[in-house]
Amino acid sequence: MIELDRRTALQLLGLSVAGSTLVGDAASAQAKDSVTIGWPSDVLSWDPNQRFAPDAQSILKLVFDQPLDQNEKLELIPKLVTKWDLAPDGMSMAIELRSDVTFHNGDKMTAEDFKYTFLDRIKKGEKLDTANSWKKVKAIEITSPTKALMQFDSPAPTAPQWLAFLGSYIVPKDYLEKTGVDGFRDKPVGSGPYKLVDYQLNSRIVLERNEAYWGSKPKVKRVTFDIIKDPSARVAAVQSGQVDLTINVPVREVERLKKEPNLAAEINPITRVILLQVRNDLGFADPNVRLAAHHAIDKAALSKAFYGGAAAPLSVVATPGTPGYLSDYKFEYSVDKAKAALAKSGFSPEKPAQIKLAATNGHFPSDYDIARAIQQMWKKVGIEAELETIEYAKYFELNRGAKLPEATLYSWDNATGDPEIFAGYLLNPKMPFSAWKGMDVGAKVLELFNVADYKKRIEGYRALNKTAVEAGATIPLLQSVVTVVRKKNLTYTKYANGWILGNTMGWS
Amino acid sequence: MVKLMTSILPLITRRILVSVVILFIVSALLFCILRLLPVDSAAMSMPPNATLAEIEAKRREMGLDQPLFRQYLIWLSQVLHGDFGASIHFRRGVAGLVAATLPATIELALLAMLIAGALGIAGGLWMFHVRGTRREPLADMASIVLLSLPEFLWGLFFILLFGVALELLPFTGRLSSGFERPVITGFLLIDTLLAGRPDMFVNALKHMILPSLALGIAFSPTIMRVLRSSLLDVYQEEYIHQARLRGLSERRILIHHALKNALLPTLSLMGVQFGFLFGGTLLIEVIYSYPGLGNLMVDAVRNADLPIIQAVGLTYCVVVLFINTVVDAAYVILNPKLRVA
Repeated sequence: MIELDRRTALQLLGLSVAGSTLVGDAASAQAKDSVTIGWPSDVLSWDPNQRFAPDAQSILKLVFDQPLDQNEKLELIPKLVTKWDLAPDGMSMAIELRSDVTFHNGDKMTAEDFKYTFLDRIKKGEKLDTANSWKKVKAIEITSPTKALMQFDSPAPTAPQWLAFLGSYIVPKDYLEKTGVDGFRDKPVGSGPYKLVDYQLNSRIVLERNEAYWGSKPKVKRVTFDIIKDPSARVAAVQSGQVDLTINVPVREVERLKKEPNLAAEINPITRVILLQVRNDLGFADPNVRLAAHHAIDKAALSKAFYGGAAAPLSVVATPGTPGYLSDYKFEYSVDKAKAALAKSGFSPEKPAQIKLAATNGHFPSDYDIARAIQQMWKKVGIEAELETIEYAKYFELNRGAKLPEATLYSWDNATGDPEIFAGYLLNPKMPFSAWKGMDVGAKVLELFNVADYKKRIEGYRALNKTAVEAGATIPLLQSVVTVVRKKNLTYTKYANGWILGNTMGWS
Repeated sequence: MVKLMTSILPLITRRILVSVVILFIVSALLFCILRLLPVDSAAMSMPPNATLAEIEAKRREMGLDQPLFRQYLIWLSQVLHGDFGASIHFRRGVAGLVAATLPATIELALLAMLIAGALGIAGGLWMFHVRGTRREPLADMASIVLLSLPEFLWGLFFILLFGVALELLPFTGRLSSGFERPVITGFLLIDTLLAGRPDMFVNALKHMILPSLALGIAFSPTIMRVLRSSLLDVYQEEYIHQARLRGLSERRILIHHALKNALLPTLSLMGVQFGFLFGGTLLIEVIYSYPGLGNLMVDAVRNADLPIIQAVGLTYCVVVLFINTVVDAAYVILNPKLRVA
C-alpha cells in the first residue's frame, strides 16, 4: 500500500513537472505575442479618476481611453474627442466625441459618459482626484450623443491639456452606477486597447488585447506587468529573461547592461524636473542668499555624479522641447558670484547664512545624495544648511502648515509639458505645490492662469520662467531621466514624457 | 485520548483568554504609538489642495478631534465589527487589503519554517555527530556564518546565484505569466491543487523556493545549536546509558530515544522563532516582489498609511499568538509528562 502511494506520488510529481515543462514550452512559443514588463509600482486604484499617480499612467492608458492624447513629441492629438474648441475667453470648450467607441462590456460610449466622468461624479462628492483638476467645470451641456459643451466658472486655458493628463479617463456611466465604486475597482471596464484579465495587488497585472477596440489594434496580445519595487531585483529580472522590459534601473547599471548581447539599455530624458522648492521667508527672506544658493550649485557635477551625465542641467522650471523652455537662457554656476551675493548681505564661509534643507530619501534616484552634495557646495560659499529627511507623502501637509524649511529638494512630473503645469503650479502661491508664497512672482502667475490665448500664455510663462529664477523664487536643477532596459528585439515608442506603452510594443 | 483532550482543551482555552488580553494591550499600544507620530491622518487622506476647513471637517468625521481614549474606543468598536478603516494611500477598505495579502505571507512563512526546521534538525544532528572530532570547529563556524547573515542578504545572494547566474528558479511574484491564477482560498498552493492544475502547483512552488529558502536558512542555525545542546543534555540522562547497556546501536539510541526528547525544546523555540520569521517576510517580500502582508506594510510605512499599519500590526500579533498556541498544544501532545494525570 505504501509502495503504491509512493508510486502514485512520484507519478503525480512527474506529471506536474512534465506539465510545467509543457507550459513553459507553450509560453516560449507564444512569447512573440506577449510582453512581460517589470514595473516599479502598482496602480493605486482601478477607478482611473480616483488617484493621480504619474507612474501608473502607462498602465491605465492601456485599459482606459482619454478624451485627448499626446504623440511622442507631446503634441495634443484626438482620441475619444475628435474636435475641441476652447473659447477665446477660456470660459467654455466645445467637444465632439467619436461615435464608434464601445466599452469592454459592450456599452456604447456617449456624451453622457463624458458628462458623468467630468461633472456628475465630482458634483456627487465622490472622493476623486479629478475633483481638483476639473473643479472649474460648472456645467456640461449635451447637445447630441456625440457633442457637448463644457462650461467653466473661471478661465480654464489648460482644459485641452488636462483632457490628456492625469486621471482624465472616460468611465462608463451605466456600468459604474450599477457596480458602485468598489465593484468597479474589482472589475474595471474601460474602452482602451486592452482588458484587465488578472490583477493581484502589489504583484501582477495581466492585460489582454481588446479585439473590439475602435482604434488601431496593438501587435502584442498579452501584456503582463510584474510589480517589482526593488531596483536591483528589476535588473536581475531583465538580465535573467524573467521580464522583457523594465524601467528605472540605476544609471550605473545601464552602462553594464548595454554590453549584454541580448539587451538594449537607454537613458531617456523626460518631462520631469528636479528642483529646489524655496520659501520667501526665514533664512531665504533675503534674495541675495537665495541667488547665492543657486549660483553655488554645480548642476553638471550633480548630473555626472548621480545620473552619469544624462540628466540635463536646467536653468528654468521646464524641460527642453517643451513650450516654456528657454534654450538661450542660462543661470550661471559661479562660486565667485555666490560669494559676492552673500557678501552683500554680510555672509561668508566664516560667517555663514544658516538655513534648513529638506529632502526625501528614496523617492527618486539619489535624492538624498543630491541634497548632501548641495549641502557641501553651499558650505564652500558660506551657506550652512541643516539637512533633514521628509517623507514625500508629507510634503503637502508640511507645506500647508508652512512647516517646510527654506529649501526642499523636489521632483515634479508634467507629462503634458505645458508651462502652466510646470512654473504655474510650482510658483502659484495659492496652490499646495508651491512653497513660494511671495506675491511679487505670485501675482504674475495668477494673472497667467486667466490668459486663454495660447500664444500669449506661452510667452507669458517664458518671461515668468526667467523672472522667477532671477528673483530666486525657484532653483531648477536637472531634467529627470527614465532608464529603460529591454530585450534587443522588443521595440517600443519613446515618448518625451516617459510613457512606456504596451500597445506600441512589438517584436522584431 | 481522553487524557490528552482534558490536558489540551484547558490549555487552549487559557491561551485564548490570555491572547485576548494581549491583543487588547497590543492594539492600545499600537494605537497610541501611531498617534504620537507627527502624521496628520485627516490632512493626508485629503487631496493636496484641500482647504483647512475641509481638513478640519475630515478630522471631525474621523473622530480625530476627540480625546485619545475615545478615539481608541471608536477605532476598537469598528475593528470588532471587522472595519479597519480605509487606506489613505489606496482609498479602499483595509480589511480587504489585509485579507487579499495575508494568505500569501502565511504560505511563505510556513514553507520557510518547514525549511528552517529541516535544515535546523539536519544541521543539529550533524553538529552533534561531529562533536569532539576535528570537524567540530568547522561545524561551529558554519553555524555562526549562517547565523550572522540576515535573511535579506541570503535573498539577494539566491537571486544572483539561482535566478541570474544559473537561471534555475524564478524570483518575482507568485506565478509565471501565462498562468491564470485560480482564486479560491487565496492560498495559491492549495488553490492550484483544488483547480486540478499540478503544473501550476509546481510553478507556484518554484516561485516560493527562493524566498522561503532565504527566510528559512537565516533561522535554521538557532535551531541547529539548540538541538545540539539539547542532545548533549539528553545524552547525560540515565536511560541513554541503559540503552547502551542493552546493546542498542548508537543510531537507534539517537533516533528512537534521544532525538524525541531533545526535539521538545527545539519545538518550543520554533514557536518563538515563527514570530520573528513572520516579521522577516517584510524585506524578503519586497526583494522577491511577493504580494504578501510584508509588501503591503512596507508600502504603508512609506506612505504613512496609519490604518494599514495598525491592521497589519494587529494581524501579525494574531498570527504569532495563534502559532504559539498551536506549538504549546503540540508540546503537550509530544510530552506525556505535561498531561493532566
